[in-house]
Amino acid sequence: MKLLKIDKNLGHYLGEQGGFTSIDKITKEDILRLVNLTLAEEVELDEYDEKAIKNPAHQILYKNISEKIANLKERRQEFTDASERLYLVEYEKYRDKPPLQGAEDEAAK
Amino acid sequence: MKKIDLHIHTVATVSDADFSFDLHTMKRYVTEAALDAIAITNHNVFDGNQFAEIEDALDVVVFPGIEVSLDCGHVLVISDKANLDVFKEQAEKVNAKITIAEDRISFDDFFDIFHNLKEYLVIPHYDKNPAIKGEDLERIKEYVPCGEVNSAKKFIRAIKGVTRLTPVLFSDVRISAELESLPTRQTFVDCGDLSLGALKECLRDKGKVALSKNNGNELFPIFDNGQQLSTGLNILLGERSSGKTFTLNKINANPSHGHVKYIKQFSLVQQEDAAYEREYSKKLKRDQSQFIEEYLAGFKNVLNDVMNVDLRVDEREVADYIRSLIESAEEVDRRDAFSNAALFGESEFPISDDIGLKELIDSIRHLIENGEYQAIIVKHIEIQSLKQLAVELIELLREKALERKKKDFVNVLVGNIREILGRHTSAVQVKDVDLYRVILNEKKVERFTEIVKHLQENATISEESIQGFRVVATKGPFAGAGGIKLASGVKTAFGESFKHYEHPYNYLLTLFANESLTQSEYYRLFVNITYRILNKDGYVVSGGERSEFRLLQEINDAQDYDMLLIDEPESSFDNMFLHSAVNQIIREISETMPVVVVTHNSTVGASVGADYLLYASKEIEGGKVAYKLFSGYPTDLSLHSPDGKTISNYEITLNSLEAGCDTYLDRRRKYEVIEDR
Repeated sequence: MKLLKIDKNLGHYLGEQGGFTSIDKITKEDILRLVNLTLAEEVELDEYDEKAIKNPAHQILYKNISEKIANLKERRQEFTDASERLYLVEYEKYRDKPPLQGAEDEAAK
Repeated sequence: MKKIDLHIHTVATVSDADFSFDLHTMKRYVTEAALDAIAITNHNVFDGNQFAEIEDALDVVVFPGIEVSLDCGHVLVISDKANLDVFKEQAEKVNAKITIAEDRISFDDFFDIFHNLKEYLVIPHYDKNPAIKGEDLERIKEYVPCGEVNSAKKFIRAIKGVTRLTPVLFSDVRISAELESLPTRQTFVDCGDLSLGALKECLRDKGKVALSKNNGNELFPIFDNGQQLSTGLNILLGERSSGKTFTLNKINANPSHGHVKYIKQFSLVQQEDAAYEREYSKKLKRDQSQFIEEYLAGFKNVLNDVMNVDLRVDEREVADYIRSLIESAEEVDRRDAFSNAALFGESEFPISDDIGLKELIDSIRHLIENGEYQAIIVKHIEIQSLKQLAVELIELLREKALERKKKDFVNVLVGNIREILGRHTSAVQVKDVDLYRVILNEKKVERFTEIVKHLQENATISEESIQGFRVVATKGPFAGAGGIKLASGVKTAFGESFKHYEHPYNYLLTLFANESLTQSEYYRLFVNITYRILNKDGYVVSGGERSEFRLLQEINDAQDYDMLLIDEPESSFDNMFLHSAVNQIIREISETMPVVVVTHNSTVGASVGADYLLYASKEIEGGKVAYKLFSGYPTDLSLHSPDGKTISNYEITLNSLEAGCDTYLDRRRKYEVIEDR
């Protein structure tokens, strides 16, 4: 899935409805959505190219966002691992399924 | 009764200090301690060849075993010889998992390796570090007939505790030629046949284990020559220089007796006044300081939190926000491509911590892991439900942690972009402010002020009595800058700060301004806590009373130790005090641990109600000084030494406590004369 693309000398991001929107409209909620997509599946983005984007505001936005998302894509596993490690020992220990109620009675017979 | 020691080390592993095994010492130990059975239990290793060598050399039952380092503590796994091959293989699997001292084996791996655990004698460290407790102990309980303890006191405690496992006391010794004295920690079992199966059955029954061969748990061995002590109150008598202090030193020096509290002779005597006064106030100050620290621990947390709040910065941020908002509205014409980007005016995601959730998980974990009150807990809540709850909460916590991390990521990115866009435009950027945090900070300061005001109300916060003395702690506001200075222990002026004392937050800001103060000590400067020791009449204690109080306090402190030794408590106290206070407190503490009191004083020696009597005597044998001990019950006619000699109890008691029979009779006559008149 493509998240960021350069088209007609402007930067665009994947909007909530599936179409592409001009990057100067991007909000923090949009970025969070892109982060979630990056962590959940294989994503693609056009690499930043100063010459391909003419608008200086778009340059700033596209450069910063694309670099960060690309970096996150590389470190996807590491990013989610940290939270998976919370209370790891307890989690593994308590998660064991209890013995089936009938099983012990069966054994006693 | 059979005497056993099932915890003996013969191989220096990565978990031990270096030592070289010595077979001769092994033989000497088994013979002199008259052992009937031993087990070889090295850390995570079983050396089959060495085992065969030891078994060949000894005439007693030798069990193969291993001490396994689990995640949660140590456990002895002792095997039957018939099962030796399987055991050897399993021990090798354990050994493969432990390459450095810090390595541990998980329960799952342990059960994987010892799938036939029922066939072994399994003894966890119980009241001994590193101990297996709570939920972990529950997991192996069906295989465990008894638990290992490391002192006579803990043995008795386990025997008396209804829900506790049968205790066993073993040497845990490293057998080497350098061993100074032979171990004295063994257990007697009432077991006819010394097979592993029979032992396992016996060890399940508390009535079948004991500290001594013939005296149940009343006596236990203290020296390797067979000398025993009472598990209660022992009185050690003897003439001057007969080896009494020598005996106490010897007990104190032996690490196998656990933590020993030793109150030495004259250590509490009031000597030079000025020096004593200094020492006493130092001790009082230390106690007071510790008390304040404990009492104010909760307040310290509140204060630490408030110390991170700066209302002045919050106020400035809100003002900046409003100013920039108005300016940006007024200067709409300055907007350009940079300021038109949505992120230019974007605020950050508010981020909350998950402290509440973490605390909740910890609380549930405590409920699951608690061993002491497990029976009550399971009466009301199923542990399995608690586990499911814990798992669900942990999953939620992980979800929230990931969410927070993502928002952190976005906030940093948004912050950077805002900053860069701001540098490229002349339009006014609306400053970001976290109003939620601003309000929360205000509430924090309000709450902090309430707490401090409450703390400053006058009240008695603790009152503890020790035999007529009272330790009283009171709280109230500081009356002036001098009091704060005294509490701070720092030579600095508090005049300016005290002007704001009525307003705790402003007062805190003045403390920040004082560079001679350490922030971690601020909590002592909000409320005045005084800590005084009062005598039975309610007055602050005088010189002589201070020594009395210290003796009682020292004896009281012994609760946390395995044994208490007191050398001549009469050195500086009058008989009334010894009789009314010291005897009673010694008697009480001897109900829970072995106590040895050296005395010449009849008020202590004859009236305290000893359980066991020892008499020290110095003898010259072949030109050499030998210290000998005789012992027996106080009502015995004669006392016996470990080498079989006897001595008259009547004679030594009167000699030691009454300066001889004639003096005693003479004194009694004189008392009678006064009484008649």
